[in-house]
Amino acid sequence: MIRLENVTKSYSTEVVALRDASFDIAKGEFVFLVGPSGSGKSTMLRLLNREERPERGAVWVAGRNIIDMPPSRVPHLRRNIGNIFQDYKLLSNKTVFENVAFAQEVIGKPKHVIRQQVPAVLDLVGLAGKEDRFPHQLSGGEQQRVSVARAFVNRPLILIADEPTGNLDPTTGEGIMRLLDRINKTGTTVVMATHDQRIVNTMRKRVIQLDRGVIVRDQARGVYE
Amino acid sequence: MFSRLTYTLRETFAGFKRNVTLTAAAIITSAVSLLIFGLTLLIQHGFDNLLQRWEGGVEMIVFVSAGTQQDGLDFIASTLQDQVNTGTVASFEYCDVACSLADADRVLAGDPTTRQLLDETNIPTLFKIVPAESTEVEFLRGLKESYQQLPSVNSVTLAEEQLDLIGKLQGFVSTYTTGLWIALMFASGLLIWNTIRTAMFARRREIEVMKLVGATDWFIRVPFMLEGLIQGLLGGVAAVGSMLFINWRWTQGVQDFPDSSGMTALVVIDGYQWTVAIIILAFGALVGMIGSGIAASRFLDV
Ligand SMILES: Nc1ncnc2c1ncn2[C@@H]1O[C@H](COP(=O)(O)OP(=O)(O)OP(=O)(O)O)[C@@H](O)[C@H]1O
Ligand SMILES: [Mg+2]
Repeated sequence: MIRLENVTKSYSTEVVALRDASFDIAKGEFVFLVGPSGSGKSTMLRLLNREERPERGAVWVAGRNIIDMPPSRVPHLRRNIGNIFQDYKLLSNKTVFENVAFAQEVIGKPKHVIRQQVPAVLDLVGLAGKEDRFPHQLSGGEQQRVSVARAFVNRPLILIADEPTGNLDPTTGEGIMRLLDRINKTGTTVVMATHDQRIVNTMRKRVIQLDRGVIVRDQARGVYE
Repeated sequence: MFSRLTYTLRETFAGFKRNVTLTAAAIITSAVSLLIFGLTLLIQHGFDNLLQRWEGGVEMIVFVSAGTQQDGLDFIASTLQDQVNTGTVASFEYCDVACSLADADRVLAGDPTTRQLLDETNIPTLFKIVPAESTEVEFLRGLKESYQQLPSVNSVTLAEEQLDLIGKLQGFVSTYTTGLWIALMFASGLLIWNTIRTAMFARRREIEVMKLVGATDWFIRVPFMLEGLIQGLLGGVAAVGSMLFINWRWTQGVQDFPDSSGMTALVVIDGYQWTVAIIILAFGALVGMIGSGIAASRFLDV
């Protein structure tokens, strides 16, 4: 599903965010990206939906090398990838329903599809009955659930999460993790960057560890260390 | 497709509301620039009418020296007849002593002293010459010089001073109004560019999310470009309304002028104003599209 081949990414001559990174992630896998702050986790995730492009190497997503994909194809790549962020990135002037519907609206999904799929996904993330609230009327955990719903509503092949529990207390974070686990069980590949030791240690999924841009460990059913 | 349309229209309308003052400034500026642009075209057209009328109806008068014999008159007549045959002169007419005296009676009715000085022995007879239609001012001048070379010709008059004046006025008016509308249209393009930039900055979070979930650049861009297009078009509509009103008032006002003053030719009633109206709307739309298109492409990476 995802393959990195000898990828090197630098932001300037001094800052090399990734150095000669390679890995292979199969369809339906759940992978944690761990490592100290500044080790290149977010950079790695941004390479996958082509927010960034590496200087060297190849990035394969769903069978295509996205490095030399023409810009006009990038939106179609991104429709296959859901994104979740530490700060949720919800639109404050839109309701829960509208925030999720927005992801379908802007890729041209017809109204009747939106009316049917948005309530279903809100139900899945446990927000049924809160469709008409605005983000500021929700707890942090609930806001993150909205963002998960938005990332998942178009049934992407891959879900990318950059420290999704970073702003949440442990219990709430665990709730989000159960949700991601459920989504993963539907066949969606999940790649998640995290600092949360407890979560990595309890989930026992594959762990890829970065240190200063270099992959120093790639372990099935790993722990945080 | 339908949901896409409602999305676009909703976003475009929201953009207007979000940004009322800047939008108003952009629309007013484009309206004023387009109005001046339209008036420039109308004024040009009015002057063209006027010049054509002067040139078409102009008479040249060749005064023959008093006491010229018949063979001298015959020579001038045959020269003019040649020009009629080659098409440079439409027609000519000899005005003999009696005719000239009758003319003098009429022209000098208010000046009896001068009239008393003229009699059969000293009044110059004259040829009235109508040059061919739509001749250039320069050509008329050449014609005048050539008549002055002929023997027995005392002097030649031509309404060239008026032609000169009109030509100068036309050049003056169109140079400065053209400068004005170009500058103002540039300003309105910049203002539209700025409103769109502000609108995109206000919505950078939404644009970020749209890009992440895979909206195409065109999908993101179109509401903004439509917003600019509508601003330009609204400016165009205001300009067309004002222009038609001004033209109507002018046409009304000019009717009070005497027909002979030539001012009556300075109106545009032949339908040309509708052509100008369409040109104005097209220009307004174009300026709006260019201003917003550049902004929308340039600031998509917010
Ligand atoms: N847009 C950017 N421009 C320049 N340098 C950047 C940019 N983004 C990241 N970097 C640098 O690249 C390196 C890797 O950053 P990255 O954000 O990938 O780390 P991270 O592992 O996600 O860190 P954290 O755990 O703090 O989120 C860091 O040294 C960072 O300063
Ligand atoms: Mg990071």
